[in-house]
Amino acid sequence: MPRPGFVLQVDERTPPLLVPEGEGFRMQKFPLGTRVVYPPDPLPGVRDVPSAVRHALLNPVGDSKPLPELLFPGMQLTIAVDDISIPLPPMRTPDIRQPILEHVIELAARSGVEDVELIVATALHRRMTAAEIRRAVGERVYRSFYPEHLKNFDAEDPQGLTHIGMTDEGEDVEISKRAAESDLIVYVNINLVAMDGGHKSVAVGLAGYRSLKHHHNVHTMMHSKSYMDPREGHSAINDSVNRMGRVLRDAGVKIFQIETTVNSETFPSNLGFLNKREWEWGASDQAMMMAAKKANDVAPPRVRREFFRRIEAPYKLTGVNAGEVEAVHERTLTNLHRQQLVEVQGQADVLIMGVPYLGPYNVNSILNPILVHCLGLGYLFNMYRNKPLVKQGGVIILHHPVPWEFHSIHHPSYIDFFEEVLAESTDPKTIETKFEERYATDPWYVHLYRTSHAYHGVHPFYMWYWGAHGRDHAGDVIFVGGNPSSVARLGYRRADSMRDALEMAKDTVGSSPSITYFHAPPVMIADVH
Amino acid sequence: MVEAREPASASIVDALSGKTMLLTGVTGFLAQVVFERLLAEFPETRVVLLVRSQTGATSRERVEYLFRKSAFDTLRERVGEDGLKQMLRDRVEVIDGDFGKGEPAVPGGIDVAMHSAAAVSFDPPIDEGFLTNLQGAMNLYGGVIAGGSTPALVHVSTAYVAGVQKGVIPEGPLEHRVDYRLELELAVAARGDVEAASRKPEMLNAFMDSARDEHSRAGPRTVAEDAEERRQKWVTKRLVEYGRTRARSLGWPDVYTFTKAMGERAVEELAAEASLPLSIVRPSIIESSYTHPFPGWIDGFKMADPIIRAYGLGQIPEFPGIAEGIIDIIPVDFVVNALLAVAANPPAPGDVNHYNVSSGSRNPLRFFELYEWIRAYFEEHPLPERGRGEHKVPTWDFPGNLTVERMLRRAERLTDIAEKVVTHLPKSKSMRDAVRRVDRDKARVDFVKRYSDLYGMYTETEVVYTDDRTLALFESLAADDKARFPFDAAMVDWKYYLQDVHSPAVTQSLRELSKRDRDRPTVAIREREEPVLALFDMEGTIITSNVVESYVWARMADLTPEEWPRELASVFGRIPGYLQVDRRDRGDFLRTFFRRYEGASVEGIDRLVADHVAEFMLQKASAAAIRRIREHRAAGHRTILITAAAEAFVRPLSPLFDVVIGAELEERDGRYTGFMSAPPLVGEARAAWLRRYCLLEDVELRHSYAYADSYSDLPLLRAVGNPVAVSPDASLYRYARRRRWPIEEWGMTRGMPRVRFPRPAVRT
Repeated sequence: MPRPGFVLQVDERTPPLLVPEGEGFRMQKFPLGTRVVYPPDPLPGVRDVPSAVRHALLNPVGDSKPLPELLFPGMQLTIAVDDISIPLPPMRTPDIRQPILEHVIELAARSGVEDVELIVATALHRRMTAAEIRRAVGERVYRSFYPEHLKNFDAEDPQGLTHIGMTDEGEDVEISKRAAESDLIVYVNINLVAMDGGHKSVAVGLAGYRSLKHHHNVHTMMHSKSYMDPREGHSAINDSVNRMGRVLRDAGVKIFQIETTVNSETFPSNLGFLNKREWEWGASDQAMMMAAKKANDVAPPRVRREFFRRIEAPYKLTGVNAGEVEAVHERTLTNLHRQQLVEVQGQADVLIMGVPYLGPYNVNSILNPILVHCLGLGYLFNMYRNKPLVKQGGVIILHHPVPWEFHSIHHPSYIDFFEEVLAESTDPKTIETKFEERYATDPWYVHLYRTSHAYHGVHPFYMWYWGAHGRDHAGDVIFVGGNPSSVARLGYRRADSMRDALEMAKDTVGSSPSITYFHAPPVMIADVH
Repeated sequence: MVEAREPASASIVDALSGKTMLLTGVTGFLAQVVFERLLAEFPETRVVLLVRSQTGATSRERVEYLFRKSAFDTLRERVGEDGLKQMLRDRVEVIDGDFGKGEPAVPGGIDVAMHSAAAVSFDPPIDEGFLTNLQGAMNLYGGVIAGGSTPALVHVSTAYVAGVQKGVIPEGPLEHRVDYRLELELAVAARGDVEAASRKPEMLNAFMDSARDEHSRAGPRTVAEDAEERRQKWVTKRLVEYGRTRARSLGWPDVYTFTKAMGERAVEELAAEASLPLSIVRPSIIESSYTHPFPGWIDGFKMADPIIRAYGLGQIPEFPGIAEGIIDIIPVDFVVNALLAVAANPPAPGDVNHYNVSSGSRNPLRFFELYEWIRAYFEEHPLPERGRGEHKVPTWDFPGNLTVERMLRRAERLTDIAEKVVTHLPKSKSMRDAVRRVDRDKARVDFVKRYSDLYGMYTETEVVYTDDRTLALFESLAADDKARFPFDAAMVDWKYYLQDVHSPAVTQSLRELSKRDRDRPTVAIREREEPVLALFDMEGTIITSNVVESYVWARMADLTPEEWPRELASVFGRIPGYLQVDRRDRGDFLRTFFRRYEGASVEGIDRLVADHVAEFMLQKASAAAIRRIREHRAAGHRTILITAAAEAFVRPLSPLFDVVIGAELEERDGRYTGFMSAPPLVGEARAAWLRRYCLLEDVELRHSYAYADSYSDLPLLRAVGNPVAVSPDASLYRYARRRRWPIEEWGMTRGMPRVRFPRPAVRT
């Protein structure tokens, strides 16, 4: 059993601690008494991945037969896989999707199934490029299926969706027509965080705007505390998705869910110091850190971006489960918690976090200001169970340069959202009422989503709502080192250094606040009591 | 030589009571106040105004418009709007006439004819100067006499008719033997000569050459229009040169004083012939008023004011002139009062009286005093510079004319070099900033040069105009009139006048301007009932690349790696050639380049566009451009893309547009022939296309929009009511700034990786 997570109390002997900030990091001295939350050490990986996969497929959990018994000649089989948004950073090849897909396809072939379609469950995310798909599914699958039988999901195909029904709360359930009409959907998932997987895989991954708007909205987001706590009654979004999943099940949509979890080995060995606690750095870690920092500080932005873009995680599989959706997901969560849960006692007045270079929506792309907001206040802030790490009305201090930069192919609607919508209001409710519909149905964005590699027109709204709860919970949000104009556009404050930010925080939380530094990545969930 | 004058028997008002006075130039600076005083204080005097009607305003409307000006503030307060109109009805007759064109029809019964209209410019073309200042005066007085009147003439001239002299100038007839009739005849004939000279083939070729240098890419019509414009400018410049040189060769500093002097002689002869009493009034430099209608009243900017303003803005580091030289300034109300006193005291019929209304002889203002008081004024009340505190005023050392001229020449050379450099910089934001800075510096140097050329004589002057006769007239007035109509130049307190009256008056508008936010012209997108077009140029406007780059790119995507080196060598080797062709004529360039597509399959190109070019274009397309296109669409406008590229290549952007106008490549059996099936739409062909389109579709261009980046698109931009320059080149940038067109910067989205050559096409 590896070391569990740990909460450090900063004292005189504590060295400067690493704080990630976009495409770079800083070494920061923290005030005495600051609590620093560290994730548990990586769990050991499964030794023999192929046999683990085979074992899972043949020994399903919950009310499900083994996969071979579900396959028969002449059937329609649809295999859906998670898209490029997970895992983060992209996994070193072979991606875990590859052996699972190969196994499933082999079993199907053995059972004489001929009609097999692979769908990348992008929902409203951008279409993956051919190269990205090849990397995720592996050469063999790619060659056999791409492009005729291995496609990105298209949520705007007027003929491509089927309305399954409504939940008892009046939510539309509409998913991919091909998937809905198949005799079996096999969903291949990677569960990086607690909100992935479960009913979300099909009900969200293969759905369009009509269905998604019922849970991706300001009201649901404000009532999800937290997204990372999928227990009934804790997360309105999870509850909604679960209702939809049950509508699918009751309508006879048959899903064989395969979920995987990976350990927390996020960074390759040359950046190994990023996986370790600072006082345990050896001479080589120290040297690597210094070299990386020096090189990074002098490198031009393009080079820096390219360096980070190329990072691949040496993740190891910690578990694979298959079968009925809810039963599988329960085991997945247990596995995930084993790796990610850290016990923390009590909330702090000030929460400090570093926003790293990568979130789910900027793989091979640019972390634009809206995504910075989402990653900081949507994802990192929500990495808790029970209570947030920071008190209601407390101060959140984030580290990120927040450059005014966008990827014009991946995020065209983000640019307009930033220039047009945020210039007028930052209030999620106002934005939702006034602008969402127009962006969601805009024919140009739809065109780019379907034919280019653009996120859907409504996607920046979801990113903004995603951070709504954190924004609302905090009394003040300060970006250390942020570009003044883009931080102002987001409606936050900025400071040149953490010291200044702490000084500014005193207006809100008084002169001697309790401070917590959430030392992620790697990903962890703070269980706050 | 001033004879003792009898004390005036009656007051000025009484003397003019029951009389009818003809006034010219009432819309100008001086006569405006004469008119106001006549209305206000001479209730028994009738006024006849000779005013030229203009397109859009009758002569009467022009007079009514006068009443809204600040010169009439006091009177308007006293009698109200209606009272003014009543006065106009009861006591004023407005007649329409243009004495520049012939004798105006003037009614009889004129007792006093006061002529103060003159060419405003110091440097008009020689024929215009003569026609206004000499022939005009003769026409006017001729018209008055023909109407049956035998009035006393009051002729406004200038002190500087004395020409280039040193020493003391008395008030008397000018001494010269110039034959004004011959000068007039030749001046008028000069225009014919110059016009003829400008039409000689070698001249026309020169105009064409320089027009072509700048506009060849726009097309032949634009070149022709520009060449003609250049010819006209040349004619004017040449005639100005004729005038200035002739004036100087006879001892006058400029055409203005020369023609005014000729005019005096002509009027003197005319008055003697018709035995009319003639008074010639010669004011020096007229500036804002001392007391009436209110201290500091001024209409427009007079001679010294542009210099005072520019100095206050810190733009004149040094100025030529003799520090001890006398600057002969006289407040406008002194001149008005003198004119009224002169009008009330005419000489005997057939006699002539000359009056200098000037300050130089009895109350001289020296150049360095003027400078120091104005400098002190600006130090105490600096001009605000928006957002940057206040302007600093320079210190003048009066190093002598030669040094100043040397400084000017050096500055001129430097700005010329800088200008050549910046206009050849590649298109970018910093190029445009540099152009703006160079233009500003150049304007400053030009300003100082022009004013020192023009006013050299006035600031270097060592001449004194006596005003004994004027003083004698003043002394002869009744005590009451002396207080009411003061014009004794000795009464002017220069320090008070310059610091408390004049400088605040001429800088007021600058102070108000700096308070307001400078309104940058912006694009307003409005929905309208009638159809509105929004036209977008592609290369350089929507897409931040030039044609050559995008074609090279597209070409590369179409080849297998093995073919790259050869093709690259071939394309890059020809780039200088392409650029040269492109500089001369974009159409030729496109024809040359499209030849490369000979034999390419239509389907292959379509696939190439879908697979590779689309991404390239979307990445290079400016987000601001796309947003703007969509805004126009949302407002119900018809969006039109105009591009020199082949239509197949712009398909990725076509969903944004209702109409796409691009080059069409000829196809045969599913392959391109390398020829274009219609001439390329570049330069003025675009405007022509647009006109035809509007005719066919019944669209008005008044409310339409056009966006382009290059000067060659000027015909297109000028065709619409709402032109917008987008990331413009230096020439368009200048043009747009001058016209106050909106200028926008659309660039690639920040942070995007550089566009790389595409991966080689997959051949299947």
